[in-house]
Amino acid sequence: MSVLLDVKGLVAGYGAVQVLEGLDLHVEEGEVAVILGANGAGKTTTMRAISGMIARKGSVTFAGTDITATAPNDIVKLGIAQVPQGRGTFTDLSVEDNLRAGAYIRKGGDSVDADMREWYDVFPRLRERRSQKAGSLSGGEQQMLAIARALMSKPKLLLCDEPSLGLAPIITQELFAILGRLNTERGLSIMVVEQNANLAVKIAHSVFVLETGTIVASGTAEEIANDDIVRKAYLGY
Amino acid sequence: MPLPIAIHENSTKHWAARAGSVAVILAIVYYLYLTATTSILQSVTEATIVAIAAVSLNLLLGYNGQISIGHSAFAGIASFVTGYTVGQWDWNPYQSLLVSVVICFIVGFLVGLPALRLKGPYLALVTLAVAFVWPTVAAQFLEQKLDDTKLKGLRLDPPTWTGLAGKREDRAIYMYWLGLVLLLVTYVIVRNLRKSRVGRSLVAVRDNETAAAVMGVNLRLTKTITFGISAALAAIAGWLFAAISDTILPNNFLILQAIIYLLALFLGGPATLTGPIVGAYTYYFVNKFIRENAGDWTFLPGLFQGDGVAPLLLAVVVIIFVFVAPFGLVGFFKTQGRRLMVVVPQPLRLTAVQPQHEHTSASSAAEAE
Amino acid sequence: MGDLPQYIINGLAIGAVYSLVALGLVVIYRGTGHLNFAQGEMALFATFIAWWIYDHGSTMWFAVIVAAIAAFAGGAIIEFGLMRPAGKKSPLAVVVVSIALFQGVNSLTTLVFKRSTDGVPFQSLFPNGADDFVEIGDGTIWYYQDIGVFLTVLVLTGLLFLLFQKTKIGLAMRMVANNPDSAKLSGVSTNKTLMLSWGISASLGAVAGAMIGGINVNITNFTMFEIFLLSSAAATLGGLDSPLGALVGGLSLGIIRSLVSSYPEDWPISEYINRSTAVAVAFVIILIVLVVRPSGLFGSSRVERV
Repeated sequence: MSVLLDVKGLVAGYGAVQVLEGLDLHVEEGEVAVILGANGAGKTTTMRAISGMIARKGSVTFAGTDITATAPNDIVKLGIAQVPQGRGTFTDLSVEDNLRAGAYIRKGGDSVDADMREWYDVFPRLRERRSQKAGSLSGGEQQMLAIARALMSKPKLLLCDEPSLGLAPIITQELFAILGRLNTERGLSIMVVEQNANLAVKIAHSVFVLETGTIVASGTAEEIANDDIVRKAYLGY
Repeated sequence: MPLPIAIHENSTKHWAARAGSVAVILAIVYYLYLTATTSILQSVTEATIVAIAAVSLNLLLGYNGQISIGHSAFAGIASFVTGYTVGQWDWNPYQSLLVSVVICFIVGFLVGLPALRLKGPYLALVTLAVAFVWPTVAAQFLEQKLDDTKLKGLRLDPPTWTGLAGKREDRAIYMYWLGLVLLLVTYVIVRNLRKSRVGRSLVAVRDNETAAAVMGVNLRLTKTITFGISAALAAIAGWLFAAISDTILPNNFLILQAIIYLLALFLGGPATLTGPIVGAYTYYFVNKFIRENAGDWTFLPGLFQGDGVAPLLLAVVVIIFVFVAPFGLVGFFKTQGRRLMVVVPQPLRLTAVQPQHEHTSASSAAEAE
Repeated sequence: MGDLPQYIINGLAIGAVYSLVALGLVVIYRGTGHLNFAQGEMALFATFIAWWIYDHGSTMWFAVIVAAIAAFAGGAIIEFGLMRPAGKKSPLAVVVVSIALFQGVNSLTTLVFKRSTDGVPFQSLFPNGADDFVEIGDGTIWYYQDIGVFLTVLVLTGLLFLLFQKTKIGLAMRMVANNPDSAKLSGVSTNKTLMLSWGISASLGAVAGAMIGGINVNITNFTMFEIFLLSSAAATLGGLDSPLGALVGGLSLGIIRSLVSSYPEDWPISEYINRSTAVAVAFVIILIVLVVRPSGLFGSSRVERV
């Protein structure tokens, strides 16, 4: 396996406030990487820095290309799709337009329509509500929509920022099951940032633990699950 | 000595610095009085009118977050109330000032009522409507009541205790001082409001209405009263205009006037105490300078020669200003000043903390400045 | 009340012009959250370009089209060269720059087109002779001029609707309007989209200027000021983020104005109402509507997070 996303010495923040202080992590092709961390550890900042939404230093390499200075709308074209925290759905647009929005970087035409049908099969609730405004969907449906929208860009790597936020436990389980299947059945590489460690670690291949802007522990899912300190702090048993 | 110099808040040095800046301002004011020609003194008074209006707007927009493009109307109403009561009913002009202030407070309060439901550009439009309606109403009023198109201005004579006679130069000197005193009064009112508990609730409402309401701030009362006070202070500007003018016209206070107040406030720095004043004098005199001199600037390209270029140059200057000092002149001086001198805030003394929950929580929401 | 249809028809043409300027305001507001104070004056400059080209011997249609294209470029340049850098400085800077532009562009117009202060005759795009009207129903007449303006605006609004709803560019514009961050993450260049929005908005203004020029058969450097104020009122009435609202708001304002200035004889307070007060009355009506519906007739009310 080769390294798909390689982040080295990532430094980022907001204005004068520096949140990330030289963060290293990497995602192998075809694997699910999970970043665990408490509130304020810098999880969302990591995501925003990788996708180029905030100014960053260090080096971010994706599939062999250095994207440290690339604008977010060009990073998408290289194959990184992000589901931002709070879902980032286009609330005033219909469900179908949201999916078309996701396919914005593609030429359009039949293959987009075919993909749309495919994701409607994976998320049947979205098909039922295809002409409704996205803002009228429930939290879980909006999260599904956000993922489907991101997938419409045919990404090589999917970034999910706290998908479980504000969702009922049963919906969260369903969601992670879907993410797991996307990885195992379609070979999609995924990076998930989560507080809900138990569910996330189950589908993960590798895990990074983030505390106050740096990675304090990393390893395979098994290693992390067996690490006493991490287990107590994040897995709660 | 290494820069910046650090001085402690409320230390002797800090007080000395404060006293020094007050002394410099007083010196300038007195120097102008001694040396300036009558027409310069009159210009200063005209700028003072803009300054008072900008200070009043700052209370509403800067501190309370409610935009108004209608402050020209409040000043206009005051100029009319003054002109009418003095001209038709022979009132004492200073009595008219009080009445104008009260009337504008009521009108401002009433405008504040629909404003309760509106935000941002929607609120701007309501106040714009007020500014738009005012000259029409004023013209109709004159036509119906007096069968005229204007009111007589006051051309206020200096009181005898000043020792000044009623000549044009004497009037200019008197109005110069009176204008500055009125500006000082307006400034002190806004400053005291800002530093008080009320001021903190104003800012809390501006920054987050819901959070402010949860902390016990009465949103409706705060917003409408602020509107009222702001309009009442704008009335002082309108009165001053009536006092120095020969005639008072409905068209003296058009929307453009309100836009000038906004520009003065923005250029100086909203939500700072001195910003609107600095902005008003700067705007007024830059404008005056360009208007009086642009016609002679032969170095400009042919198309841009002549008096007509003045508004364009002013616009260019304003745009350059805002790029250099995007948070206003006062903001600019504060950042630059910090390189030379910083005031270290006093550490919180635990004994001074009172167990008043609303007090402390309101002040934490009012950090914005 | 027998003349009611006639008064409504009289208000449609000017209302359509309000709609057009209001649409321009809405296009920019959706993208940036700012009111463009210079919208009217930018339109004024473009209208004078049209006049200048016509004056040099072209047809009016050609002149207006060239002016609209020039306005598009001008709008895009203003966004790129002024508004975007100002936005990076502070939100306040954007407001100040757009107010300064309002004054600056007006002044530039008087400098470039020397005769603008006295006014220049403006050729209408449509036949506007005394006999150029059609009678619809019971003595109600509709001038070709007014029909032309009304239809032009309807067609432009329709095209704009198609652009928004049916094209990828329109999708990008809606994405940026609704959620700029997600738009970027989906691969949309917000910069290009905003330039486009400003360009479209300025072109709409240019056409609106040509329409009002045709109605007044004359333009001066004051022509657009009141139009801009009333159009921003119309946009607010309709809801600042709603193109449909701009159309309805503009037309309603035109009709309200026509009715108010036509009816006073029968009204109890008629002695206080005349042509100039009609605008004031229209503003008061809008104020009442806004108090009932704070986000305008068709605007979306956004929930604020604490």
